[in-house]
Amino acid sequence: MDLAALKRDWTGFEFDTAEFEVTEQQMLDFAISCGETEARFTDPSHEDFRAPTTFTAKFSGRRMLPEEFPQLSRRGFDAGKCVEALAPVRAGDRLTGTSTIHDIFEKTGRSGTMIFIVHRMEFRNQSDEVVSIVDWRMVQQP
Amino acid sequence: MSARSFDDVSFGDDLEEMKTDVSLDRIKRFTGAAGMTFERFTNHEAARKEGLPGAIVPGIMSQGILAAMIHRWAPGSTIVKIDTVFRAPLLVDSDPVCRGVVTDMNKADRTVEVDLTIVNEANETRVLGTATVRLEG
Repeated sequence: MDLAALKRDWTGFEFDTAEFEVTEQQMLDFAISCGETEARFTDPSHEDFRAPTTFTAKFSGRRMLPEEFPQLSRRGFDAGKCVEALAPVRAGDRLTGTSTIHDIFEKTGRSGTMIFIVHRMEFRNQSDEVVSIVDWRMVQQP
Repeated sequence: MSARSFDDVSFGDDLEEMKTDVSLDRIKRFTGAAGMTFERFTNHEAARKEGLPGAIVPGIMSQGILAAMIHRWAPGSTIVKIDTVFRAPLLVDSDPVCRGVVTDMNKADRTVEVDLTIVNEANETRVLGTATVRLEG
């Protein structure tokens, strides 16, 4: 497998758009089950009631990878997520998530070589404001 | 709860350790909110059939738990960015502990960097990460 070619051909490739509705109950259940105690996350009557910081990490698009993306292995796993919070997410927001391949890189460890594919979802609200960016690192072992 | 200001914090400060509830009931509430349907999160037997030692806590829930620890330490703070690595499975119905330590401070934008971990009963790291947190004051 030619990692340089894979990176050159796919980095920055946009492959999916999906819409998500944010409900008060989802926000509350997410916050309380994670142990949030501040009223801005747990009390809908609070003047600044908002979704917890990492809330958008729960959304996934229709595809994990582009349709034509080469199959590197039969199984992969979720190695981690990075959430950048840019603006509050509120109950009733309609978010549009756009997926791109943000990065592809290789690491070698005790279990051999692993390919990391970073799937980025950028979320915009109904006012076209970017509210959150989520990078999902998927690992595949060729 | 009172806000923790930037000037209250020093390099190397430990966040208050937080024990967290990862009981099956709590996980089911989370997976319901997150729209996750995989039984490996909510059914020990199904998880064992997949080769896991038991049901596992979803990675994004571990991330949310670490964010909650930061908010308890610094009420009113803003987590600008949080990056977590799901290093090894964290088991449902286990008794994990969350920890954090301030590893950098940026006076210009009133932010601190915090290293984060979740360990199991054997003190083995299951989840680790970093966060950039903006403090008021």
